[in-house]
Amino acid sequence: MLDGILLGLSTALQWQNLLYVIAGCFVGTFIGMLPGLGPITAIALMIPITYSIDPSSGMILMAGVYYGAIFGGSTSSILINAPGVAGTVASSFDGYPLAKQGMAGKALAIAAWASFTGGTIGALLLMLAAPTLAKVSLSFQSADYVALMCLGLTAIAAFSNKGTFLKAMMMTVFGLTLSTVGIDPSSGTERFTFGNTDLLDGISFLLIAMSTFALAEALSNVLKPEVKQGNSEQPMQIGSIRLSKAEVKEISPTIGRSSLLGFIIGVLPGAGATIASFMAYAAERNLAPKAVQEKFGKGALRGLAAPESANNAACTGSFVPLLTLGIPGSGTTAIMLGALIAYGIQPGPMLMQDNPDVFWAVIISMYLGNIVLLILNLPLIPYLARVLIMPKAILTMMILFFSLIGVYLVSFNTFDLFMMIGFALIALVLRLLAFPMAPLLLGFILGDMIESNVRRAMMTSDGSLSIFWDKPLTLGIMLLAIIVLAMPLLSFLRLRKAAV
Amino acid sequence: MLNRDTLGALIFLAFFTAYAVFAWQIPLLPFEEMDAVNSASIPKVYAVLGLMFSLLALLAQAIKRQHSSGEGWPQINLRSIGQTAVLLLLMWVYTALLEPIGFLLATSVFLSAGFFIMGERRWRVLLLASVPVAVVFWLIMTKLLGIYLVPGELWS
Repeated sequence: MLDGILLGLSTALQWQNLLYVIAGCFVGTFIGMLPGLGPITAIALMIPITYSIDPSSGMILMAGVYYGAIFGGSTSSILINAPGVAGTVASSFDGYPLAKQGMAGKALAIAAWASFTGGTIGALLLMLAAPTLAKVSLSFQSADYVALMCLGLTAIAAFSNKGTFLKAMMMTVFGLTLSTVGIDPSSGTERFTFGNTDLLDGISFLLIAMSTFALAEALSNVLKPEVKQGNSEQPMQIGSIRLSKAEVKEISPTIGRSSLLGFIIGVLPGAGATIASFMAYAAERNLAPKAVQEKFGKGALRGLAAPESANNAACTGSFVPLLTLGIPGSGTTAIMLGALIAYGIQPGPMLMQDNPDVFWAVIISMYLGNIVLLILNLPLIPYLARVLIMPKAILTMMILFFSLIGVYLVSFNTFDLFMMIGFALIALVLRLLAFPMAPLLLGFILGDMIESNVRRAMMTSDGSLSIFWDKPLTLGIMLLAIIVLAMPLLSFLRLRKAAV
Repeated sequence: MLNRDTLGALIFLAFFTAYAVFAWQIPLLPFEEMDAVNSASIPKVYAVLGLMFSLLALLAQAIKRQHSSGEGWPQINLRSIGQTAVLLLLMWVYTALLEPIGFLLATSVFLSAGFFIMGERRWRVLLLASVPVAVVFWLIMTKLLGIYLVPGELWS
């Protein structure tokens, strides 16, 4: 492992990679601060740029953007009570009241330190967990992968917002169906191309990511202008960013506990930063003494430190299944998987052996990203916060322009742009109907992998379906996927029964 | 009245039905016919799963409706709908004109028209926020990174 860490350090500390981390953190913070835009959009906008650089640098840039976007989301949660991303909603519960009390600087400092510690603990745990899990997963066979992917797809739907399980499942299957467009790689048969040669290679993942996230989010903000866009009439006073010894003592145990909890939740497929931050907030409120409990929601320091450390640790944790099994557990890691595949790199147990520079550089860059956020972004917060009063017209048009031209620069085919506009319209309608987008992306990216693994498994079993329950490991994962799938349905039936 | 959950389920039911029809029409090559998994197998499974989930969603709505009216529609004003529709149309026009009139002109027009649609009326802002962006982006791409950007088929 020491060799790996040294390799990661030597890659990540190259001057151009350091610049990518810094640039990624800045861009991520900038985009993450904008209400309605999250890390998936931020990363999607970066993908065309990463295509022109080597894979390690590309992944380092995207990891920086990811961290920056989460940090930026916290900033808008604290300053204007408008979380840029779902993972920082819990941060606004106590962060915004603190800012209203004139302690915005203190709240931002707590968020930065909690994020730094959460990210650092997460990176250390990732260093320990990923190589071990990668070694274990070397024994996985095609059927096990199919089972794991089924678990990933059902889990992201099961962990989606309350009451949207079936919507998430429909979106997952929609994503899977889109992955079948084009020439079947095994037989060469054309599927769903309708005689259009532009569809022979299938639909590019960048096109889907850009249209369903960047374009649709920007248009959604135009369609629903009630989304808070900052209080430009009353600029927020940032105040001091210094923390007293007593305050540090108060939040330290919270940060430690929440980081651990966040990492564990982040590793679980589908759970991610949002659930981690809410669970850490709830756990901390329950653990707090009665007097402190009453402060929660009114500006409790622990109430801010808990979700901030948990969401950062969860972000790091979500890289474990991606790097070791090649299975993304969230929309953000799904988009990174797509980028890696576009580089010709297949994440999974062999990644550590075949591309150790990428594997370790990503892990080390996460740590560097946290340092960059702490050293550079925190003092610059008052200036970065000005982005919150940027005119909506300029912002929207820039996102539309960079999304369209980003896809064009990769394919140089205007058909892709027309298709992108069509998908943006579909995504916009689906957003209005309250359908979640991340399952679509996950389904689309996993679709090809599921198909090839099912074929391989069925070939080895001579066409017998029993390969999916013969081995205890495969059976166990399949049962887990079925339980995850059945849980929301059972809870719905129980609720209906109670209502009657 | 049709609530948005029911409408969503109906849209997907229609989509998955159409997908199923095409999935069952995927032509199989002679050597595939005996394969356990052929080109049409996985699409057929996805079609069945999609139909199953959309029917379940409709069923859930039918059960829910006995107790409540379901999730309501978001409040959107006509001006926002118009703005969004015109922006979509503008993107379509930009795509159609990108290669014929070239990146520089198409992008400058696209950005300034977009700012105008979004409510910006100061002509100086319209020009300064569009032409320099297009020129700087073009310079970075073509001169710095060596990426070819179409100069315009109509005049090249």
